[in-house]
Amino acid sequence: MAAALAALASILLAWRGLRREPRVGRKVLLVGLRTVSAIAALLLLAEPALRVVQTARVRNRLAVLVDRSRSMNFPVEPGGESRTQAAARFVAGARPGLDALASEASVEGWGFARDAWPADLSALARADPATGGATDILGALRATAGGSGAPGRRLAGVLLVTDGADNGALASGLSGQARADLLSLGVPVNVVTVGTDAPRDLAIERVAVDDFAFVRSTVTVEATLHARGFGREDVQVLLRREGQVLAQATLKLEPGKESYVVPLSFAPDTTGTFVITVATPVLPGEAVAENNARSFVLRVIRDRVRVLLVAGHPSWDERFLRGLLKQDPNVDLVSFFILRTAGDNPGPQDQLSLIPFPVAEIFGTQLRTFDAVIFVDFAYQPYRTLDIERFLPGLRDYVRGGGGFAMVGGGQSFAQGHYGSTPLQDILAVNAPEGMGETAEPFRPRLTPEGRRHPVTSLVPGEGANEAAWTALPAIPGLNFTAPLPATDGARVLLEAPTLLSGGRPAPVVAVREVGAGRSLAVTTDGTWYWGFVAAGDGQGGRAHQRFWNAALRWLVRDPSLAPLQLQPDRPSVEPGEPVGFSVSVRGPDYGPAPGSTVEGSLVAEDGRVVGQARARAGADGQARLEFPAPPPGAYRLQASAEVPGAPLERGAAAVAVRANGAEDSDAAPRPELLKQVAEATGGTFTNLPHSGLPEIRMREPEVVEVGRKRDRPLWDRWWTIAFLACALGGEWLLRRRSGHW
Amino acid sequence: MRRRTFLQMAALGAGSIAVPRRARALGDASRVAIGQIEHAGRWNPRPSALRRLSWELAQRTSIDSAPDGVPVKLSGNAVHLLPFLYLAGDGAMPPFSEGDLGVLRRHLQYGGFLLVDAADGSNGSGFDASVRRELQRLLPASPLARIPREHVLYKSFYLLDHQGGRVITRPWMEGQFLNGRLAVAYSQNDLGGAWARGQLGEWEYDCTPGGDGQRETAFRLGVNLAMYALCTDYKDDAVHLPFILRRRS
Repeated sequence: MAAALAALASILLAWRGLRREPRVGRKVLLVGLRTVSAIAALLLLAEPALRVVQTARVRNRLAVLVDRSRSMNFPVEPGGESRTQAAARFVAGARPGLDALASEASVEGWGFARDAWPADLSALARADPATGGATDILGALRATAGGSGAPGRRLAGVLLVTDGADNGALASGLSGQARADLLSLGVPVNVVTVGTDAPRDLAIERVAVDDFAFVRSTVTVEATLHARGFGREDVQVLLRREGQVLAQATLKLEPGKESYVVPLSFAPDTTGTFVITVATPVLPGEAVAENNARSFVLRVIRDRVRVLLVAGHPSWDERFLRGLLKQDPNVDLVSFFILRTAGDNPGPQDQLSLIPFPVAEIFGTQLRTFDAVIFVDFAYQPYRTLDIERFLPGLRDYVRGGGGFAMVGGGQSFAQGHYGSTPLQDILAVNAPEGMGETAEPFRPRLTPEGRRHPVTSLVPGEGANEAAWTALPAIPGLNFTAPLPATDGARVLLEAPTLLSGGRPAPVVAVREVGAGRSLAVTTDGTWYWGFVAAGDGQGGRAHQRFWNAALRWLVRDPSLAPLQLQPDRPSVEPGEPVGFSVSVRGPDYGPAPGSTVEGSLVAEDGRVVGQARARAGADGQARLEFPAPPPGAYRLQASAEVPGAPLERGAAAVAVRANGAEDSDAAPRPELLKQVAEATGGTFTNLPHSGLPEIRMREPEVVEVGRKRDRPLWDRWWTIAFLACALGGEWLLRRRSGHW
Repeated sequence: MRRRTFLQMAALGAGSIAVPRRARALGDASRVAIGQIEHAGRWNPRPSALRRLSWELAQRTSIDSAPDGVPVKLSGNAVHLLPFLYLAGDGAMPPFSEGDLGVLRRHLQYGGFLLVDAADGSNGSGFDASVRRELQRLLPASPLARIPREHVLYKSFYLLDHQGGRVITRPWMEGQFLNGRLAVAYSQNDLGGAWARGQLGEWEYDCTPGGDGQRETAFRLGVNLAMYALCTDYKDDAVHLPFILRRRS
């Protein structure tokens, strides 16, 4: 910088010194010579040089990306060739053009659907049926940008041949993150779109429902349907559970309208895991029949266990049982207590708070809304006007049909209530024939071998600790004598009174029974409150009473967590073509793991056909796995049984849905608008088929790289540079001398 | 046999014939007996009161009541055989020991019920002063408060809107609550005095100022108290409300 200033100053001084020079030509010549000298001096000081570099243009890649997803099997137009055929024909016709690009870019073939894979262009020019189960254009572009067998070569451009029926990142259009991701590739995407008209098709595109529902509460399933190519038509939309129609609605199709949302409501009447199917009939001319049904798995659980507690009179047993149930947030308790007797005299009725006993309502219309019914020393006989006896067969059938029933002892229960000669004897967990007495003699109950392992009588974990916990409880003041039922009736005595004999055997205190689909419990004493309130006086707390009744109620209502055989599908909804697997947990009679148990399972279709069978043996942790080869799309129920040594055959069931179709089949409409946006956003071209030959292809400029060593040539280090400077200075000096400027 | 003894036996015999009743509990231990707390003061000022209340319970309701109250000391476990306790007194009462209070507190916390009855009809002195002191020690976190008229106690069997007793010292009852449940009910109106009846059938005390109507209300309140102890808030269940509202309107 200093040298440049000095050079400029010398030129200005020369100009200033020639102010009085009258001849302009001489003046210009002198200043010019000074300028040339200053430049030459600067050149010497700056030491400039010339760098010589050897370079070459790199041949980058052009990816030809052809859609191989199933939507390409649809016709380009109704009755015409398939999109796959049109795409293959285009690739074949574009080959010469692509070959001509070989000097500019290395042309690579790719197929894509859910993923992208390198493919020979010759293969892409064949019209093989497309099999891909999804379309992810952005993912495919990313994969091609990542390269294949040509490391180091950049992707310069893409020729994308597709119908645009994307169900991946571009499913909802080119916006937001999808647009940013596309632009980040920095590659022109030249689009060739195939297909113009959507096929005539009715498809259940989506089903919106929670994973679980509450029993007896209304569930609404929202089905989104796509309909194309239809006029004004009415379509029945059905909601089925394993063949049974739960709800239906009529969908009115309108020309020009493609998307419909149909709400279908139903109230599940029982708990469990079910496969639910939304289905429409297949209409004439539909492109795809499989997308007219869609299945999902719904787990139906209890919001709260609904219990009906009927007490023959206020008692301490009723008091503490009601208190326990009332406090339990998982229990919806409905109580009815008989507060009067036939011969009492409380005074005018209108001064009482008593209500009529709604027998017909609770034992008739409302009975099946309860998960369990508990009779606490309740007699059916004394109330002749109520005629409760006529409802006993219904109560028996309710239990056989899946309800829970418990009879608790007292002076009006079991034989004392004359239940042994009623239909209820068919479901009682003990035998209570007429004439069996009662006793007020205190006793300490004892666990039977079955009771040591049963969850109802499990107060604490561990067999020894549990037995000790029962032994520590206070003696109970009396029981109803009953007789055990044979094991063949599905009954088991869990707790017995060793000091009180009935027919020469210890009298049952707690007994359980499986009755059809339901369960029954017998507690032959009205003193279970001794296990709580009285035990609390001994410093034991009230936990035994609480644990006993909680476990009893859970067992009565078949709490799934107490089932010895647990089945869990790997996934509730399986993609077509995938195997169906279940995790199995087997517990023994003691509710611990049952190693070595043999588990057999059958996969049963909606129509009852067995489509697969599997067998497994439980490991040391009681776990096993059942796997079935890929079944056809549909709803299936796994029916499994486990052989546990020393225990009756345990059975369980689970459900799974094999999807009939995914988004690929449910919406196969071409999306040329989306593809045009892709082309415009990336600087590529957009072409609609049919098109002969290769359309215009835009690519990034090839990259230029150095291929040899650099060489620097100095420009100042020459003799003529010095000579030029000397001549310029000498010429100025001579001219000044001659013109008198010095 | 003296004439008075003969008449007493005859009266009792006639009663048992007139009221043939089948036991609904398995033995006496399962019957509903009211435990009367023995304390260091005059703990049993109305000896016949609980017998008469039990009799009335049997006559008016389906409660399978024991024939009489059961005296019980707080020292010991027997109190836990009797979920319904009755604490009465006439005049000042010495303080309970900490141990006795602990037993009573545990009884109530596990679901027991205590009826306190001031036989002397006192207010601010005598038994009233003593028992307020002890109840404050018993459940310090739950001070005595007036039981609202809407409380289920007043509709657990009879629909009640006023108090009964030998006297009406206060036209309301007070109570102590545990987790929303009425655990202690306190009357200053000598309920036992209204219930007390001699073996020959005569009422032992007059009820003032209301006479026999006031006595009947005392029995009805006793029935409601027993029903509440046995059924707690049963009459608050939704199914009962329309009927109760209709009868009260």
